[in-house]
Amino acid sequence: MILFDNVSKLYPTQNQAALESLSLEIEKGEFVFLVGPSGSGKSTFLRLTLREDKPTSGRIRVAGKDLHRLSNWKVPHLRRRIGTVFQDFRLLPNKTVFENIAFALQVIGKPRRQINRDVPAVLELVGLDGKEDRLPDQLSGGEQQRVAVARAFVNRPLILLADEPTGNLDPGTSVGIMKLLDRINRTGTTVVMATHDQSIVDQMRKRVIELEHGKLVRDQSRGVYGYTR
Amino acid sequence: MRFQYVLSEITTGLRRNLTMTIALVIVVAISIAMLGAGLLIRSQAETTKGYWYDRIEISVFMCNEYSTGAGCADGAVTDAQRDTIRQTLESHPEVDEVFYENQEQAFARFSEQFDDSDIGGIITPDQLPESFRVALQDPEQYDGVVSAVAGLPGVQEVTDQRQLLEPLFRTLDGFQLVAFAITVIQIVAAVLLIGNTIRLAAFNRRRETGIMRLVGASNFYIQLPFILEAAIAGLLGSVLGVIALFGGVELIVGRFIAPNLQFTSWVDSADVWAATPWLLVAGVLFSMLASFVTLRRYLRV
Ligand SMILES: Nc1ncnc2c1ncn2[C@@H]1O[C@H](COP(=O)(O)OP(=O)(O)O)[C@@H](O)[C@H]1O
Ligand SMILES: [Mg+2]
Repeated sequence: MILFDNVSKLYPTQNQAALESLSLEIEKGEFVFLVGPSGSGKSTFLRLTLREDKPTSGRIRVAGKDLHRLSNWKVPHLRRRIGTVFQDFRLLPNKTVFENIAFALQVIGKPRRQINRDVPAVLELVGLDGKEDRLPDQLSGGEQQRVAVARAFVNRPLILLADEPTGNLDPGTSVGIMKLLDRINRTGTTVVMATHDQSIVDQMRKRVIELEHGKLVRDQSRGVYGYTR
Repeated sequence: MRFQYVLSEITTGLRRNLTMTIALVIVVAISIAMLGAGLLIRSQAETTKGYWYDRIEISVFMCNEYSTGAGCADGAVTDAQRDTIRQTLESHPEVDEVFYENQEQAFARFSEQFDDSDIGGIITPDQLPESFRVALQDPEQYDGVVSAVAGLPGVQEVTDQRQLLEPLFRTLDGFQLVAFAITVIQIVAAVLLIGNTIRLAAFNRRRETGIMRLVGASNFYIQLPFILEAAIAGLLGSVLGVIALFGGVELIVGRFIAPNLQFTSWVDSADVWAATPWLLVAGVLFSMLASFVTLRRYLRV
């Protein structure tokens, strides 16, 4: 589903590579934790997967597409097959919960009938039914992140990328989000989650990929976070 | 395409940047008015030139017995000299027609012109020159004809009306140049302003556009509200510009110039109507193009 083949990324302003000769493969339906200290290249990995940026060298395949050969105008179609969740939720503050999720479908041209069917369904999946008319600032952080997850998942993507989704949440709330991501993974969606959160990684016992200075230092199935820091 | 979404995006966008939008509308209005003025002056110049070119002729005055000057050393023009001049004119490729006017005819025309004054009484036919009036094939090409006959014996003087009209034409050309220079400056200002407005709009909406990119909205869909916003501002500006043009033509030409200067036909609102569709299309397309170019820089995939 995601294949990195000897990928390096050097940002123009930096003299140390953000990713260095990284090779790894993530299969369809996997749940993968991407761990490593801040600045180790986790977000860069996710950005390259989304084709927000191009690697300096190496090949990347995502959902059967060779990103190097993917023309610019086809990138939106790639992104429709990838859901994305961030630490800072990225909701539109003046739209309700329902509108925030509907927005993601509107802007890719989905018909109103489908929006009215899919948005309530995904709200129920994330446990927010009954709160569709709230504005984001009338929700707790955990609830806001559920909206963001619902928005990422409403179009039934093949892949869900999450960049420190629990970074702004307290431990109890984080567990709830993790259960939600696990449930989404069980529907067959590949989930890649970058995180700092040691206890979550240790509890879940999923595949762990660890980066350090942009290099792969560990790739372990059913792993734990690793050395305490 | 979800129409309602696009529509609401545009209206909020236009309202959010109200001052910039107003500035943009004004600059587009001025650009379009100047462009229109340039086009009208140009067509005025063409009309005026056409009007006068139909009447332009060269007059070849021949010596009479009182003449002085190099060509008239032998006194009044002789029959042989007159024939040579006529043949030279008639065989010249640029000459269309040649009319001969003898001293009696010149006197008749002269008397007619000064009908009421006493001058008619003191001038006699033999004091006036006989002449050839020459109509040209192409009024621009008078130089060749003038130089062909100017030095011939028996020719006192060659005058061409083109020389008299040259200052008028130069003035018209000058107006045209000024109008186009102002147009160019205005267009540069418009491009910068459209760029700025769109950049501001893109910045204001970076949250929305960021999410749109993330969920896979096409570039077209992301850019459409911005481009339509520019198109609407462009249309408003062009309409104002055209209205200003109508006003200008009505006031300056209709009330002031045309009634007082009747030596040619002047542009009027019919000419503005004819230019209107082009000016509107130009204003809208131009604004859209400028915003599209800006967006390519500020809203990348
Ligand atoms: N847009 C950018 N421009 C320049 N350097 C960047 C950019 N994004 C990330 N970096 C650098 O690349 C390295 C990896 O960053 P990142 O992928 O964000 O790591 P992580 O998400 O693991 O904290 C860091 O050294 C960071 O400073
Ligand atoms: Mg990061």
